[in-house]
Amino acid sequence: MLRLEGVNVHYGATRVLWDVAMEVGAGEIVAIMGPNGSGKSTVLKAAMGLKKPSSGVVSLDNEELQNKSATLRPKRGMSIVLERRRLFPRMSVEENVMLGAYTRKPSEARETFRWVLDLLPEIKPHLNATAGKLSGGQQQMVAIARGLMANPRVLLMDEPFLGLSPAMVKTVCSIMQMINERGVAILFNEQNAKLSFSMSHRGYLLESGRVVLSGSGEEMLDHPEVRRVYLGIRETAA
Amino acid sequence: MSATQFIELIINGLITGSIYALVGSGIALVYGTTRVLNFAHGELMMLAGYGVLLFAVTLGWPVLLAALATILIVMLLGAVIQRVTIAPLLKREDWAFNVVAATIGLSIFLQSAAQLIWGEQFQGVPYFFNGVAVIGEVRMPWQRIAIFLVALGVMGLCALVLYRTRLGRIIRATAQDAEAALAVGIPSGLVHTAVFAISAALAGTGAILLSPLVTVSPWMGASYLLKGFAVVILGGLGSFGGAVAAGFLLGLIESFSVAFVSTEWSNVVAFLFLIAVIWARPEGLFAGRGA
Amino acid sequence: MLEVFGRRPYLVLLVMALLLAPVPLLQLNDYILHVLTLFLIFAVFATGWNLTLGILGLKTLGHHAFFAVGAYASAMVSHYFGVSPWITIWLAALIAALTGLLIGFPILRIRSMPHVAIVTLAFAEIVRLVFANLKEITRGELGFWGIPPFDPIQIGETTIRFGLGNAAGSFAVAAIMFVGVHLALLLLLRGRCGLTFLAIRDAEAAAESLGVRLAAWKLFAFAISAAVVGLSGAVYAHYVLILTPTSVAGPEMLISLLAMIIVGGVGRFFGPIYGALLLTVTSELLRDFGDFRMLLYGALIIVFVFAAPAGIAGLKPRFSRKETETRKTVEAV
Repeated sequence: MLRLEGVNVHYGATRVLWDVAMEVGAGEIVAIMGPNGSGKSTVLKAAMGLKKPSSGVVSLDNEELQNKSATLRPKRGMSIVLERRRLFPRMSVEENVMLGAYTRKPSEARETFRWVLDLLPEIKPHLNATAGKLSGGQQQMVAIARGLMANPRVLLMDEPFLGLSPAMVKTVCSIMQMINERGVAILFNEQNAKLSFSMSHRGYLLESGRVVLSGSGEEMLDHPEVRRVYLGIRETAA
Repeated sequence: MSATQFIELIINGLITGSIYALVGSGIALVYGTTRVLNFAHGELMMLAGYGVLLFAVTLGWPVLLAALATILIVMLLGAVIQRVTIAPLLKREDWAFNVVAATIGLSIFLQSAAQLIWGEQFQGVPYFFNGVAVIGEVRMPWQRIAIFLVALGVMGLCALVLYRTRLGRIIRATAQDAEAALAVGIPSGLVHTAVFAISAALAGTGAILLSPLVTVSPWMGASYLLKGFAVVILGGLGSFGGAVAAGFLLGLIESFSVAFVSTEWSNVVAFLFLIAVIWARPEGLFAGRGA
Repeated sequence: MLEVFGRRPYLVLLVMALLLAPVPLLQLNDYILHVLTLFLIFAVFATGWNLTLGILGLKTLGHHAFFAVGAYASAMVSHYFGVSPWITIWLAALIAALTGLLIGFPILRIRSMPHVAIVTLAFAEIVRLVFANLKEITRGELGFWGIPPFDPIQIGETTIRFGLGNAAGSFAVAAIMFVGVHLALLLLLRGRCGLTFLAIRDAEAAAESLGVRLAAWKLFAFAISAAVVGLSGAVYAHYVLILTPTSVAGPEMLISLLAMIIVGGVGRFFGPIYGALLLTVTSELLRDFGDFRMLLYGALIIVFVFAAPAGIAGLKPRFSRKETETRKTVEAV
């Protein structure tokens, strides 16, 4: 459904992505794992159109999007939860969430709003609160709610667990699974290999801006390279 | 100081302050939403001055119609300036200084062009409102009082748009996080253009209100630009409400400074106040609430 | 460093000095010498400003204040106390430096570019208004006249005279200042000091974490920059012999100098010199069309910001360097 082919991205003269190819099928959860600075966030930004690739193809259901404005993505069924939530800090929670449906008709937005509140009842009591004043975990819920308001078929999530307490990580995990069960595909990135691949159908390992490994979640967890470098497990010769 | 003098100083301060607030809040709106410091803002005022001169005096249109036509034209000019000279620079790494330099160039270019086209002579616009209001023992021409009332009305309208409409909501969203706004599908480029147009309308309103009192000249905007900037900093960079409050405050300070020093020093007092505030509270006097 | 100074800065300066040296002996007409003298004074002014604007990266917009302070300080001390201008110009540089420290303090605490730009602009306006309002000692906008020119120098049989009307001598003073200031700045900036400035410009936070005492360095840079500008103002005062607040601290001065720096190349050591030469000469050529001068400057600023943001100094070598840079990063990644 969402497909990246040969995507290259430069920041000034520095090249940060090298021929990245990825795919997210309908209803999948796909993880991008990699160390700090490997370009994980850049992949998501390039997919969302927030960073223009210098070359390559980004397509959704075979429609090429790489040269189109980011504002078209929500209309096509794609939305993003940005790193560090990035709410509109001086607006109310309700305003934040409703802005997620900016590209949609008000009647449809109302309907999705009810659906989102059912899914994330935790935000109901805070609808009139100023978004910037909520805790990190609450803000993440609001950010997810805002992302869902576009009624996406693919939800991109940039570092969804960053800065959350272990309990909150679990909550967000189960919310992601719940969203996925409603048929929304998810592409997210995360530094922790175990967390990334245990909750995803498929995963990619990104190093220095290149995809070095890909496979199903279990395959990734079992791969000797992943086990050695990212899980710190030393294998004795079998 | 007698009570009459005191009231007069307050009224004068509020009238000067309303122009500062109009100019400053426009600059603050643009800065708050786009992080751009527009040095050609004063020239939008100047062009509005010539606009009202053309429509109301040369063509003899009714004042209200002339004012509306002028405001529409400067809004369009503001939008064009944003599209043509500012938007293309924003992609650069060192865009902040590039934009400052380009708008300074544009400002002086427009000033000299106006001087070549319309000459150096200062041109007067007749009073829109006749008569004198009597408040206690203070006598004040209606034209001056109208400045305060109209400015308040226009800024109130602007606040209403910002806080009660869909356009206002997407402007505030863009101001608070441009990338997040883009991600939900808000066309931030168009929002920037709209904000420049609104800011131009505020400047234009100020110029129209001033035109009967200060006469129209190529430099009429330049003298208010620095005051507008001062107001923006005093109010907390980018805060619309802060800029409005700071505008009135600066007007009152100037007005009351006349009681202690001679008039030619009032600008020195105003700018020294600005530097003192920066020293003590770099975040401004009314910081905390952005656009 | 390479980008700022070019490959052989001392050689470039030597060539400039050699080009300037024979000029007074060429029997050029006084008018050409006058234009060249103004060019040299403004080149020093522009270089001094570029020190904070381009090399330290502090976007100040009020350096015409230091020019005015230097000009008026030297003019008034020599006029009222009868001190020789040869001495008062140094005093003027010192006073300008102290003024720089004064305004440097509030600016130091600010990192936001707009604040710095607006505060320095407001400061320049204060300076202009103060000189305009202290009519008892400056005569305000009527103009401060009666400024003594530099005292004549006797070398054997010949007496060298200075001031407006003594073109060759005035040119020589301006040329010596020009070469001297640029040499001194090169010596200063090619060392640790220059590296520190560039580090502050390119990554303030990183420079600070490396133990650079940001505040002290910025103040130092501000003072040096103000001193250089003040010195050029003082030399200007003893050359033109009449000053008005608007002519030295008004908006036209700001625009002219900003145009010179931008056209020449912000942050390039030699950039402002080329800008000053080009703009001083063209504005003299356009003298008969006086009204067009500011129109031209405004247009030039816009054109250069859009088409050549690195200015004249950045025009040629830019392409070749960019290629090598790209190659380097490609290898590094």
